[in-house]
Parts: sequence; structure tokens; C-alpha cells
Amino acid sequence: MVFSIIPCVYRIIKGPTIPDRVVALDAMTLVIVATLGVYSFIQESVFFMDVALVLSIIAFVGTVTISKYLDEGVVF
Amino acid sequence: MIGIGFVLDILSNIFLIVGLFFVFLGMLGLIRLPDVYNRLHTTTKIGTLGAFGVMLSILLKVGFSAMGLKAITIGLFLLLTAPVAAHMIARAAHRHGVDLCDESIIDEYCDSYDK
Repeated sequence: MVFSIIPCVYRIIKGPTIPDRVVALDAMTLVIVATLGVYSFIQESVFFMDVALVLSIIAFVGTVTISKYLDEGVVF
Repeated sequence: MIGIGFVLDILSNIFLIVGLFFVFLGMLGLIRLPDVYNRLHTTTKIGTLGAFGVMLSILLKVGFSAMGLKAITIGLFLLLTAPVAAHMIARAAHRHGVDLCDESIIDEYCDSYDK
């Protein structure tokens, strides 16, 4: 999973445009959610599953907000 | 005689390995492909399927307990919201003026609105 994080960070730092960085942030959130699922199974604790659920919801809302801001210039 | 638990265990391991491999392939595509839209393709399809595979593997491993239900909830949520987010960011990128890569041959969307 660390090998999957590295391209995301590279694309966030280097990415030529703003949508590149947004896509990379979304992908990094996906990787972190999958990692939290595996970690929650290894630790046999349910709480990391809650963290993963909230993180995925926040990532979705953030992506939609940034894309609306790029599209129209206003958020709401 | 092999029991049902053994079969579920094998299926869960297969889904886990396939899911992690797909997530890795998606992020590899994020670094390899030349364009915003191509990167969007690889992360939103391969990555979402990989994450759903991981969550399905956890559900098969622990059964319908609290952890399994939360895992499959996360998986279905990702499967539901990732295409919406990808569509919105692609539309915003196209209207923002991000060009396609040099190998592209057709762009039908730029006729449907005025910049």
C-alpha cells in the first residue's frame, strides 16, 4: 500500500494542473480507505472502519466542492 | 470433505489479493498516463474496484458482524460516489480549459457549450 501512496504524492506535488491534484487527492483517499480496512481487520477493532467511512464521505464532498468551484467560480 | 468456512476463506484471500493488486495498478496508471482524463479513468475505475474487492474480502472473512457490515457499506458507498465525483471533476477540468493530450483525435464535448 505504501507503493500505491507514492505515485499519488508525486502527482500532487508535480501535477501540471489543479484537476490533476484533485484527482490525485481522491485516489490517495481511496488508498487510505483500503489500508484502513485491512488495518482494522488486522487489529480486530471496529473503530478504524468508522474512520474509513467518514474519510470517504469527506473526500466525496471535498471533490464535488472543488469541482464546482473550478467550474463556476462559486461554491454554492 | 471441505467445509463452507474453508471455501469462504479461500475466496476472501483471492478477493484481497485481487483488490490490492488493482489498487496498485490504478495508482501506477496515475503516474504513467499522459492526461487528466486518462488518469481519471484509471483511478476511478480500477481503484474503486480494488477498494470494493478489499471490503468484500473483509465481509467474507468476518461474516455479517459489525465490521463486515461497515466494510460492505464503505464498499457500496465508494462504488456509488466515485463515478459522480469523477464526472464532476472531468466536467470542471474540461470547462476550466485543460487540454487533452497530443495523441487524442476527437473532442466532441467542446462543441456543446461556449467557453
